[in-house]
Amino acid sequence: MKLRYKLALYNLLTKLLFVAVFLLLMPYFLERINTIQTDNELINKREQVMDIIAEYGVEGLIADSANNAFGSYNILKQEYISLEKAETDSLWNFIEIAQRMVDEEVINYRVLNYSFMVDGETYLLEIGTSLDNIYKTERNIRTITLILLGLFVIISFIADTTLSRVLTQPLEFITRKLKETKSPSLYNRQPVKTSTTDFAYLDQTLLELMQKIDELFTKEKEITANISHELLTPVSVVQSRLENLINDGGLSEPHAEKVSESLRTLHRLKGIINSLLLIARVENRQFIKNEQFSLEELLREVIEEIEPIASDKGLQIQALFECDHNMTRANRSLLFTLFFNIINNAVKFSGTEAKGSVEVHCFSENDQFKIRISDQGPGMTEEQVAEVFQRFKKRKSPDGHGLGLAIVKSIADFHEISIQLSSKLGFGTTFLLSFPKEM
Amino acid sequence: MNVLIVEDEKSLASEIAAFLEKEHYLVEMAHTGMEASEKIAVNLYDFILLDLGLPDYDGLDLLREAREINHEAAFIIITARGEVSEKVKGLDLGADDYIAKPFSLLELNSRMAAIARRKFGQRTSHINFGQFSLDPLSRKVMCHEREVDLTKKQFDLLHYLLLNKNRALTRMQLYEHIWGNMLGDEYDSNFIDVHIKNLRKKLAEYAPVEWLETVRGVGYRANID
Repeated sequence: MKLRYKLALYNLLTKLLFVAVFLLLMPYFLERINTIQTDNELINKREQVMDIIAEYGVEGLIADSANNAFGSYNILKQEYISLEKAETDSLWNFIEIAQRMVDEEVINYRVLNYSFMVDGETYLLEIGTSLDNIYKTERNIRTITLILLGLFVIISFIADTTLSRVLTQPLEFITRKLKETKSPSLYNRQPVKTSTTDFAYLDQTLLELMQKIDELFTKEKEITANISHELLTPVSVVQSRLENLINDGGLSEPHAEKVSESLRTLHRLKGIINSLLLIARVENRQFIKNEQFSLEELLREVIEEIEPIASDKGLQIQALFECDHNMTRANRSLLFTLFFNIINNAVKFSGTEAKGSVEVHCFSENDQFKIRISDQGPGMTEEQVAEVFQRFKKRKSPDGHGLGLAIVKSIADFHEISIQLSSKLGFGTTFLLSFPKEM
Repeated sequence: MNVLIVEDEKSLASEIAAFLEKEHYLVEMAHTGMEASEKIAVNLYDFILLDLGLPDYDGLDLLREAREINHEAAFIIITARGEVSEKVKGLDLGADDYIAKPFSLLELNSRMAAIARRKFGQRTSHINFGQFSLDPLSRKVMCHEREVDLTKKQFDLLHYLLLNKNRALTRMQLYEHIWGNMLGDEYDSNFIDVHIKNLRKKLAEYAPVEWLETVRGVGYRANID
């Protein structure tokens, strides 16, 4: 998951958790706050009533009434005050929730009970506030809070994601650069635009690393190329000398054979040098890719070239061209070498006992042109498959120097052709070449 | 014919010289660009073999200079293999051929013969061998008025053997002549054996081929009087 999405998700989750906790606790706190406030109001009212009683006397309030009691409700029955004589000695002073019957309607009240003595008589004062009222306030507060919380979550989520997108943009840029990089030399050198020092440092370090790797690669290639190059002239001298020895004709037969053997060894040396040079040149992109040609034609040429060897071994090369593919920016002779090496390998390893055939199959899959070259030879183990494209890792064969497939790999890379190799011991080997779409 | 070998590696130059002298060329050597420049100014050559990698002279400059003075000469560029751009430039400047180190002297010989045929109008008439005759221009092999149908590779192989008649050619020499250096030198001795086998089979349909000899431990030889 991308860092940006992780950040957004984390932000959203923590906010939702916070909101959930808040929603869980809110009713309790709201009730507490409301109760305390209501109680305070009730106590306030009690003080006011007591002030009135102190000024006018209790008699004045209850004198007119028939049963020595005073009661007052406001019209909407939200509040009431009652005052009556009580037949008790204990002093009351508490607040409770109680039900009162008013006009045949049961209403829940928060009621303050307060008893006091005037002239040896005990009076009981009750002040009530309708709980309905309290709940309504509570509900309003809760609704408003919910809306605000919702808005908060939405707005902060948008803000967070925007921020994290802006913040991680340099990182995404760096990641994109890395993804696009096929080899260190092709690394995008455009620096990332950011004020975040961490990203700038990361970008800079990556660039330096790439340059370092590229430098080392180049140096290694140069050394290989230079050594190989320097060997060409001395080898040429020895070859000419040996050829002259044979040509002079003065050698006895065993000596001629010895010289001929030396020439063969020299030829192997030449092969190694030339192959290393070829790989180095391909890797250094010293070849030009500007030719247009049909792959089918090229393959037919290669097959024609190898056919005599194959049929001498009793092998058949079966070619199946389902479709053709026109190369537009390629190097024909390099691709010739590539196919020659693969098909020749297939023939070479197919054994002398006329075991099956070598198949060359061209087809299109998912709009991509592919070539499958398979043999029914002895196959390879997994370890052999893993290192088959490395230099000097050759399969058992009398000739060759273990560079043929390394050459294949470098040419394929140069043309952005991907090669998949599958092999099963005893069942043969298959090369699958996938060509890039745009070529 | 006069040949000038311009090559700073003295031992290589003298090996080439020894070989060409046997082929009845008159050979001179120059080991530096200056030496070569002087020689070219004084003498006329039919062939100039020019190593481009001279220590004191840009090989391409020397080629340009030599062509002005000695424009009749045929130029063969010798260079360390594969310097593609140099090869192209050299051919642009009018070199007749290009040969990459390390090369076989026999290959050099056949290139020079081809140039001589082309450039100096040397009529290498039909080569007769056994009851056959080969025409290098029309690329045909005849046997008593009947044409022998050969593939391109078989013809080239036969022609090369005939050019170097009575000389044992190694399989590698034949291989290099036919396939050049293009195949990444994944040398396979089978290739030559198979082609010779097929060539023999085809020729034997027309007339005996005992003149095409297998030289044990070396390669093949065309024995022709």
